[in-house]
Order: sequence, then structure tokens, then C-alpha cells
Amino acid sequence: MGNNEYMQNAVTGWMVPHGEHSDIVMSTRIRLARNLRGFRFPIAFSDEQAEEIGKLVSDALLNGGKTGYAYTRMSDLKALGRQTLVEKHLISPQLADAVHYGAVLLSEDETVSIMVNEEDHLRIQCIYPGLQLENAYRKADETDNLLESRLPYAFDEEFGYLTSCPSNTGTGMRASVMVHLPALTMTKQINRIIPAVSRLGMVVRGSYGEGSEAPGNVYQVSNQLTLGKSEKEILAELANIVSRIIVHERKSRELLLGRSRLSLENRVFRALGTLSYARLLPSAEAARCLSDVRLGIDLGLIEDVDMNILNELMVFMQSGFLQNFEGGELTAEELDSSRAKLIRERLRQRAADGEPHPDEP
Amino acid sequence: MLCENCKERPVSVILKQETPGGPVERNLCDQCAFNLQTFSVNPNQEPMSIQQFLSQWLTGEAVQPQALEAQVMPECPECGLTFHRFLEIGKFGCPVCYETFRERLPRVFGKLHNGSTVHRGKIPASFNEKMAIKKQIEFLRISMQDAIQTERFEQAAVLRDEIKEWKRKLSAGPEEGGAADGE
Ligand SMILES: [Zn+2]
Ligand SMILES: [Zn+2]
Repeated sequence: MGNNEYMQNAVTGWMVPHGEHSDIVMSTRIRLARNLRGFRFPIAFSDEQAEEIGKLVSDALLNGGKTGYAYTRMSDLKALGRQTLVEKHLISPQLADAVHYGAVLLSEDETVSIMVNEEDHLRIQCIYPGLQLENAYRKADETDNLLESRLPYAFDEEFGYLTSCPSNTGTGMRASVMVHLPALTMTKQINRIIPAVSRLGMVVRGSYGEGSEAPGNVYQVSNQLTLGKSEKEILAELANIVSRIIVHERKSRELLLGRSRLSLENRVFRALGTLSYARLLPSAEAARCLSDVRLGIDLGLIEDVDMNILNELMVFMQSGFLQNFEGGELTAEELDSSRAKLIRERLRQRAADGEPHPDEP
Repeated sequence: MLCENCKERPVSVILKQETPGGPVERNLCDQCAFNLQTFSVNPNQEPMSIQQFLSQWLTGEAVQPQALEAQVMPECPECGLTFHRFLEIGKFGCPVCYETFRERLPRVFGKLHNGSTVHRGKIPASFNEKMAIKKQIEFLRISMQDAIQTERFEQAAVLRDEIKEWKRKLSAGPEEGGAADGE
């Protein structure tokens, strides 16, 4: 069961279901973009400037007595190591690509990560499990104040925090909430919600993968505007929209259960069967089944599987993690096989935990 | 796909270059697009929405070719970015760009941020302090003028020294006074 131990070590703060509405909201993330006066933005800076910024930021955070942060240069990590940080949402793909000058400061519990020399000099990111916009913002704000007291921020009276991209100017804040919306997706209501939300200055998009599809029916709701509103206003508007989406999702779940309980049961138990016994699991199928099983747990149809399987396995079943665990590059089929094994073992844990469960052949 | 110039970073901009043999498309990352000054944009193929948006806006209203040349395009003294180039790549090159393009930016921000052009959020503690110092200096200066006019020269000298002291603090930067908490 080396698998389980490996995963337990890799579980990070936001993956543990906790916080308000944790049956629907998986995590809350606040990101603040900040830059230093006197330096060009990463799009245009020299290697010397990049180096100096890295030093200034790490000195500011590590020498002040308040440690608890670890500084890692992208160049110190192998490609797989960078990829797993991306898969855990601790750094962005763009930072992982900044091999020469990117770095990250990670707090011990991994709830705060400060990306250095991504699109901006600093991206302060705070991820909490469940719906915790205020707590996550408070933590990000504290970290911001600490850094600001030691670094010369680029701030303008008229335009606020100056960022490389004009879409971040002002507060530099992107607040996002990751939500699991299987019922809204099944009933296709999500297709009406997405454009409606965008008219309110917010965006809904798939949280894993690229493009418009949302693997695992996991979506991210975030603010689009950063200028002309205070952080508190933005957070309140986002909280309002998310709570309305939650209400819709709950209603749709009840509706599905009331109208077609048998077919819903069939669906979630088939998914559980696939996850429990499949020998090859492509990631799209795994994501779909994980979403179904999680829905079954939320609705009380499946009782002996714990609810964080969706949060954890959506991360651990990605190719970077699997290859890191297996200790080398894998072919597509090997990936599907490794993914199936990982999920099987994770599900077998419940049997080991004493719950009655049919033996695996 | 990797940037064809540095072959390191992923492509984020597709730029169309006019060559003697006809237009050529180049797939570039942000950094390379920023550094290569000779390209013009192909608005139909931009993968990034802000760039697409800004460049369409550029071609839509700001650019009649002669008008563009006749106009003096401001250039950032710090990083060399021109306003035209800013609209093409959709990114600023440095904090000084904001100062350089200040008069043109409200229109850009208005379009991107639903009509908003002014920051209403958090103000860094050190910046708040600076604002307070600036106000203090202004107040002392008026008092000094007043003292001079009423021939209270000793007091004017005291005020002058005080102003000097505040100005020194102001230029000392945020390391001096930024330790205060934001709230
Ligand atoms: Zn490049
Ligand atoms: Zn500049």
C-alpha cells in the first residue's frame, strides 16, 4: 500500500473537505498580483533583474524571523516536480514554464504560495478548502502587508496596483471558488448559467484541463474585473453568485433524485463499479466516474466511501503525479493502468477501515 | 506548441509579419513578442482575448494608417514600449509605462473593466503614509508662505527646516515607514 502513504504525504490543505458547503464547494482561492517599483515586468526584464527580484523577495520573507516558508527555484526542480506543483494548484503552468527565473515560496501547510517572476513579480496565492472567501482573503492580505512592509511596491494613486496585464490592474485580485456541479451539468442548466454569470463581471469555466469542458464537472467561478471596486465588494459579489449557484445545484440534485432515483442510483453505482474494478482508466472516464461517485456520496446513496476521493483523486490521477509515483515516464496505456490501480487501492481502503465491502476478485 | 523564437516558452501570441515574399505568421511567447518590435498583429488569429480585444480596438478606431504616423506615439523611457505596441501585445513592460501612457489609459481600462477607470480598493500602508506626508508638507509650505509675508522670518526658517525633514522622509521610501499594518 505504498500508494496510500505516498498520497497521504501529498494531500495538501485545500484537498480535505472542510468549510462551508463542502459538499459542493471544493476550495476557495485568492490571488494577488504585485510588482516592485524600479524593475521591468517579467515580460521585459533582464536576467540580472530577475535574479535581483528573486533575492529581494526571498530575503524579505525568509530573513525577517517569520519563516515557515520554503523557497524553491523552478530551475531546482525536474519537469515532473514542477508539473506536480501545477497539478496541486500550488503554482501556475506559466510559472512552471519560467524555468530560468521563476521561483515559489511555499508555506509549510501549503495554503500560501508566493510565485516569483510569473507574469508579475509577485503572485500571492492562498487556497483554503470549502467556501472561505473571507478567511482566504484575510490570509492573503496579511501576507501582502508583510511583503509590502519590506518591498517597494509599484502602486499608483489613480490605477492602484500596477500589473503587467491591464486586466489585473487595480486590486490585482482574482478570487475564485471551485465548485462541483454534477446536477447542473446533467440537466444542462450550466449552459444558461455561464453566460448569465459573465454578464455580472464573473467567469465560470472548467477547473481542470483546458477549453470549455469541465472534467469531473468541477468548475471555477471567479471575478473578471479588478478596477473600480474594492476587494470587499468583489468578494461579496462573488459570494453572492456562488451561493446562488449552490442553491441551483441543490435544487437540481433533489429534482433528479425525486424524478429518476433508480436511474441515478444505477449511474452512481456503475461508476463505483468502474472505479473499483477497472484495469485501464483514461482520465476523462475516471473524472466522470469520480464525479458520479461523489454525487452518490453527497446524496447518501453511497455510504462507505469518504467524500474527499473527488478532491484528492482529481489531483493524484493526473499524469505528473502518476509518473512521479511510478518513478519515471509512462506510456499512455501505462498511465491508464497506473491510474486504475491508484484509484482501486484508494477505494479498497474503506474495506480495510472496517466497513463491510465485497472482496475484490 | 513552443515559441518559434526561443523554443522554450509556450506560444501565446500569433503575429503577422509583412515580408517581401508576403505575410508570414510567427508563433511567439509573450516575451519574444515584446522584444521583436517589427511585427504587426493579425487580429483574427490572436489566441488571447485581451490582445485580440485591444488590437481590434486599435484597428477599429485608433488606426487610420496616416493618422497613426502623424500622431506622436509615446514611448516608455524605462522599457521602450510604445503605446501602439502595448495595444498589440496587451501587456505593459514596466510600472513606468502606466505613467507614460496615463492619459490614454482610462479608455483602455474603461473597455476592459466595465467602465471603471479608477482604483477603489486597498491602498498600501506605506503609500497611505506618503499621502499623509505630502499633505503635511503642503500644509507647512502654506504656513511658511504666510510667515514670510508677515515677516516672521525666524518662524519661516523653522518651517523650512521642518519641510526639508519631511521631504527627506518622503524620498527615503517605504522601508522607513511601511511596517504598519494595513487595517
Ligand atoms: Zn519565445
Ligand atoms: Zn515601460
